[in-house]
Amino acid sequence: MTTAFLLVALLAQTPQSRPADGPAPYGPLEGRPSVADASPLQQRVDAAQPGDRIEVPAGSYVGDLYVDKPLHLVGVGRPQLVGSGSGSVVRIRADRVTIEGFDIDGRLGGNLARDSSGIHIAGRLALVRDCRIVRSLFGVYLREADDSVVEGVTITGIEGKAPGEQGSGIHVWNTLRFTLRGNTIRFTRDGFYIQSSHYGLVTGNRVSQIRYGLHYMYSDDNRFEDNVFEQGAAGAALMFSRRLVFARNQFIHNRGFASVGLLLKDCEDVTAVDNLVADNQRGFLIDGAIRHVFRHNVVATSDVAIVIYDSSSENRFEENTFVGNLAPLLLVGRRTDTVFERNYWENFHEPDLDGDGVRDQPYRLSNVFDHLRGNLVAADLLAQGIGAAVLARAEQAFPVLRPISVVDEHPLVRAPERGDIPRMPQENPRGARAGLLVSALGLCLGVIGLRAGRRR
Amino acid sequence: MASATVPTLTLVRLCAMQELRLSVRSRWTQIFAVVFAGLALAVAASGYVLSGGSGLQDFSRTAASLVELVLILVPLTALVFGVMALTPDAGAAELLYSQPVPRPTILLGKLAGLCLALVASQAVGFGAAGLLLFWRSGADGVMGFIGVVAGSFVLTAVFLALAAALTAGATSTRRAHHLAVALVLWFLAIVLFDVVALGVASLLRSGTASRLLMVAVIVNPVDAVRTATLLAVEGTTAFGAASLAFLRMTGGALGAGLYLAASVIAWVLLPLIVAVVRVRRADI
Repeated sequence: MTTAFLLVALLAQTPQSRPADGPAPYGPLEGRPSVADASPLQQRVDAAQPGDRIEVPAGSYVGDLYVDKPLHLVGVGRPQLVGSGSGSVVRIRADRVTIEGFDIDGRLGGNLARDSSGIHIAGRLALVRDCRIVRSLFGVYLREADDSVVEGVTITGIEGKAPGEQGSGIHVWNTLRFTLRGNTIRFTRDGFYIQSSHYGLVTGNRVSQIRYGLHYMYSDDNRFEDNVFEQGAAGAALMFSRRLVFARNQFIHNRGFASVGLLLKDCEDVTAVDNLVADNQRGFLIDGAIRHVFRHNVVATSDVAIVIYDSSSENRFEENTFVGNLAPLLLVGRRTDTVFERNYWENFHEPDLDGDGVRDQPYRLSNVFDHLRGNLVAADLLAQGIGAAVLARAEQAFPVLRPISVVDEHPLVRAPERGDIPRMPQENPRGARAGLLVSALGLCLGVIGLRAGRRR
Repeated sequence: MASATVPTLTLVRLCAMQELRLSVRSRWTQIFAVVFAGLALAVAASGYVLSGGSGLQDFSRTAASLVELVLILVPLTALVFGVMALTPDAGAAELLYSQPVPRPTILLGKLAGLCLALVASQAVGFGAAGLLLFWRSGADGVMGFIGVVAGSFVLTAVFLALAAALTAGATSTRRAHHLAVALVLWFLAIVLFDVVALGVASLLRSGTASRLLMVAVIVNPVDAVRTATLLAVEGTTAFGAASLAFLRMTGGALGAGLYLAASVIAWVLLPLIVAVVRVRRADI
């Protein structure tokens, strides 16, 4: 009944219907564990009245827990829930269940196809807070769990396990208005996997050493803010979703082979503001992107700042800062209608004689090296050198190659104020002390050397 | 004869000290020191400004700019100072080479002194720039910075050796000619070589072309120093995928280091041998 209502609401909301291959089919839900597999806490849960608060003292409780009524489970002194090893450790099958203060161990057990998790939620208005989850296939699984909140949860997946053999840190399926806040996730398949779930908020999380930090599929009208995604195959991968908005996130150190800070595939109307995309193999990759706006982000120290497939259209890059990228743009396909306006390009030094803060010449986002780089990996060895600079100048003065004409008509002289954009974590100040010492030593030795020549 | 009793090393040291004294007294060394320090400081300061004071790898970005400065300035000054010092006025040359000291010893001593003078002036510049750089960025990049300084010293040695090979036994009458040749050599090393390598590479098939470029980067001492220092400062992010391809071809970081080191050592030793042979044969 509710599902049907939601579907109607969704269809009314979005002009186009959902893609046919969108939502995954219903799988069987893990039910009540057998008596042998049940947790010693099961009796207390079964005996409780709906709405009761159950305080669990410190200790280790082996077995799975099945919660089928609204309850508030509180761990006092961090009790340990150790799974039976045959399925989800905590199975929530009712609305309004709160669980907080537990350490949960999945014992590497369960079945990926049955979504075995540390905490598996199939009820609305759940709240999971301040838990630690280790060794489970999925960390927290929200299945049709509208208005649920997961916050302050630390999930450590199974290190070294192939992405295909384990689940995501927090998996959200067919859930509306979820909130994921302040969680820390490592060593899982994806940090967050969000499918067919709308109006969610993902904020203040930290995800590292995963495949994709954040992965949206067929999920519209979502926001994510103030997260850190690092050391993955992609910081975030947004796919087949509409009207996503994200701000003040960090997509950093995604450096592996073919890694990317932010991957956008077949999305519409995405807005990115104030994000830091730094030290990635590729910064933004947009494929099949329609009407995206990238405003006031910093894209830094990538091999390629932006990759655009010609399946994309009507996208804009405004007032972004591009610093220290080996190449600004790679076009896959020959054409793009992407608009670049008022961005700051660190390596562009045309003067601004009228002093209006905009350089007098437009910035061309392609140079002679894009032609070489395409099929000549080693070209980058020389691309930043003096000879290459001379070559690029010459080509600019006497164009012999037909460049792809992607230009920023009004490149800024100064990087826009950083404001809300996050900064890279500060480097080690002790290292600076060693550097200062070495520099001072060099200075002294140099002066002594020069004075030695004057003596007598 | 005096040379029979005085060890060669002492003679080299004597000549080196004399050359150091000469170049310091000529004031050109100090001028170079001041100019180099000024430029290095400007790079260190602007590197910080350019990245918007963002803390976005201020250190390695600035160190990379410093490398560019070194690649342009150091070979030029080493060549010019070398040619100027090694083409003495006719009388001075006769007086010097008539001393009971083997000519190669005098030449090596002069080169050592020149090298010392240039290295000392660069050390002043690097020291000043380093103070600003580390103070501003608070970065942990001492080894990379030392790498840049070492690269600069290596380039000094290479181009002094080349200057010696060019001018050995010459006097000031040919100075203008040698200076012109030195300038051509400099242009060849820092610009023309890369342009030609890229041009040829763009005509070849991609596998061969990549290998050609990697060999080119090793063979040219300027490119060798650039590659080594940038890899030292920025790691494999320095050239993106090309860094990895380069490391794969040379067999890892150690292999790359050995190839690059072998190249610059050859570029010091071979010109020195040429210079020694030429100065022995020269009619002074």
